[in-house]
Amino acid sequence: MPDTQSLVNDFLNKLKKRKIEGSQATARQTAELLRVVISQQRVPYTNQAGALIDAVKAVGERLIAANPVELAVGNIVRRVLHIIREEDLTLATAAVAGLNVSGVSDDEDDSEHGDHPVLSAAVVAAAARITLRPPSLQTLLEDMPDSAAVPHTSSSGGDSEGKSKSADKSSRSRKLKHDVIEAVNELIQDIATCHDQISEQAVEHIHQNEVILTLGSSRTVLEFLCAAKEKKRSFRVFVAEGAPRYRGHLLAKELVARGLQTTLITDSAVFAMISRVNMVIVGAHAVMANGGVIAPVGLNMVALAAQKHAVPFVVLAGSHKLCPLYPHNPEVLLNELRSPSELLDFGEFSDCLDFGNATGSPLLHVVNPMFDYVPPKLVSLFITDTGGHNPSYMYRLIADYYSADDLVVQRRPASEN
Amino acid sequence: MWRRSASFILDKQFQQRNDAAAAPESIPVSSPPAASMTDNPIQVPKISAYYQTRAAHNGVVTSDWLAQAQAAVRHSPPDSPKGNGKGSVIDEFNRWRNQPDLAEAVAAIRALAAVIRDSTATTMMELEIELKKASDSLKSWDTTSISLTAGCDLFIRYVSRTSALEYEDFNSAKSRLLERAEKFGEISCKARRIIAMLSQDFIFDGCTILVHGFSRVVLEVLKLAAQNKKLFRIFCTEGRPDRTGLRLSNELAKLDVPVKLLIDSAVAYTMDEVDMVLVGADGVVESGGIINMMGTYQIALVAHIMNKPVYVAAESYKFARLYPLDQKDMGPALRTIDFGVPLPSKVEVETSARDYTPPKYLTLLFTDLGVLTPSVVSDELIQLYL
Repeated sequence: MPDTQSLVNDFLNKLKKRKIEGSQATARQTAELLRVVISQQRVPYTNQAGALIDAVKAVGERLIAANPVELAVGNIVRRVLHIIREEDLTLATAAVAGLNVSGVSDDEDDSEHGDHPVLSAAVVAAAARITLRPPSLQTLLEDMPDSAAVPHTSSSGGDSEGKSKSADKSSRSRKLKHDVIEAVNELIQDIATCHDQISEQAVEHIHQNEVILTLGSSRTVLEFLCAAKEKKRSFRVFVAEGAPRYRGHLLAKELVARGLQTTLITDSAVFAMISRVNMVIVGAHAVMANGGVIAPVGLNMVALAAQKHAVPFVVLAGSHKLCPLYPHNPEVLLNELRSPSELLDFGEFSDCLDFGNATGSPLLHVVNPMFDYVPPKLVSLFITDTGGHNPSYMYRLIADYYSADDLVVQRRPASEN
Repeated sequence: MWRRSASFILDKQFQQRNDAAAAPESIPVSSPPAASMTDNPIQVPKISAYYQTRAAHNGVVTSDWLAQAQAAVRHSPPDSPKGNGKGSVIDEFNRWRNQPDLAEAVAAIRALAAVIRDSTATTMMELEIELKKASDSLKSWDTTSISLTAGCDLFIRYVSRTSALEYEDFNSAKSRLLERAEKFGEISCKARRIIAMLSQDFIFDGCTILVHGFSRVVLEVLKLAAQNKKLFRIFCTEGRPDRTGLRLSNELAKLDVPVKLLIDSAVAYTMDEVDMVLVGADGVVESGGIINMMGTYQIALVAHIMNKPVYVAAESYKFARLYPLDQKDMGPALRTIDFGVPLPSKVEVETSARDYTPPKYLTLLFTDLGVLTPSVVSDELIQLYL
């Protein structure tokens, strides 16, 4: 326990001080931390899923609060919660199926008693499946039992069958943690290899003798372009430098190192060059549920230019960047201001103070936002590790990866199970 | 360039001359039905009963409504002994519907629940057939109401899906259906509250919201925002001829929310100052578009061209399996419009009460299933009817 706490505090510090850069690194470290939390968590005999969910929510709440703009943290927390619920459901249906079989075989001995496990089995399985799916028209009229009730009924069914079932139950308790940790390992693996899965699709999208435009530097874009190069496509890349960090310079150097014909341009030249470009390919910081993109600053301008000239605007995003929230004020709430020293050196500020004013407040304000919000109507295609999708399709991926209960990650105040 | 030929004008004149020459008791549809007591007032509902009820809720009594009410009172004693089976569904439905707080679909489901309660069927199949007949008669009584059709379809679908689970005996299944149907009324109130909660984040301090039509869901949203001490103001359109704007501004004034009334034509003029448009819906169609009071399409067009988001607040049981391709594709729902001055009989009046707003002009739908983009609607409908 103390071990986990110190790890959590360590990670919280790093998040608060913005020491971790990039959503992939953040996602991976969050998943690893949650794996440690789950494996260290002692689970009670009944309703272990609830205990795990509470533990993860407690840690997750603090992680999200440490850096609310880094949406990957919240995404991974919600993914892990969804994994716990799913694994619990799979185990419950498997156990119930086991009960079902034994109930049928005992039919001659206790006919009316044998009926009840069959009844409750079907109802429990159906009910459990319903709680996991997001609310839909189908479930509008149906009863919504507590998620806590699901393992409870199956365990009571187990008790009625005798001691052989209790042995199954203890092995089931160990199985849940084991299954969850396996699934989290898969998640970490997916995060690490997302670049490869996206790059595999490069050949379908980049054709011979094309001109690609990108802005700033994204590792996914780099891998994507190099994968197309490997498959013997010859094309040219325009890289906009991405002021004020000038990450575009790094990307240009790396592309040249891999043998691609590259042209470096300023951000202001994008609109002038866009009519000569066949496709814009960019990375993203996060993708919201309506298909909108939180992207490095400057990309909204590129998207608008691309729309004006009917150039496809393609966004590459790993599945850990997919966020189930809707942006209701993204320019403000999901943005961060970086240090103004990236624009103006600190020494130059002192010239701009207004000494005519009593307080000596500066007349010059320097604003250095980190992100831009690109609305979904400007995006032509999302390429994720599951394939290419329309912006209006994002809600389906969200329904697959997240549960509706987890949208607000808050520990329930009183939980006694 | 294809242009409509002028022949339709000539045809109309030809027809009118013929009608004038023919026997005078045939009444052309377009003429204003000024207090006309024909021998069959029941046939006059080319006027949509749904919109009559909404008008009645808004306290607008038109002369035609009066005529119908009087005719109904006159005709009801001979009607009650015959057709007790079919007529009672409709009576029950009307009883529920006239409560101003109850949604149309909920009234329909309550009426169908009454059918289950009074039914003498002994198997699920019989019960399903009875329900189907009752729902068909409800739908045919008012073909223009979308939430009525959607509510009936939803309930029938639920019944046929749960009856497939053969493990229960008939009586427990019947009582479960009854219980669920009666609980559906609570779902309606709960749905409005969920929608209100979901939309709170989208209303920020200092925003200006344009509202059209009188939707109880939208009122709930605004009530909750006012309770949460958010500072916002409302522009509401007058909503001729139902005067929905007047009623809404009354309600909002009670909440101490600053309200400004606009005439319907002033929407584009004020759209500059508006931050978002919020409307309810009579029905949400398969494409993700909405059917709502006349004027919604206009407002959505203006908002779209000026880059203002259009939000729709609708409960999920309003999703209907319709796919209108243009404005005239739906069944006509006509509504009498009282201009206050007598019009010459040759002047036609566009009396349609509703219009269709295509999904590309809508930004988001707030439903009790969550915040949805218009493309999710067809997904939900497919899942229901699979």
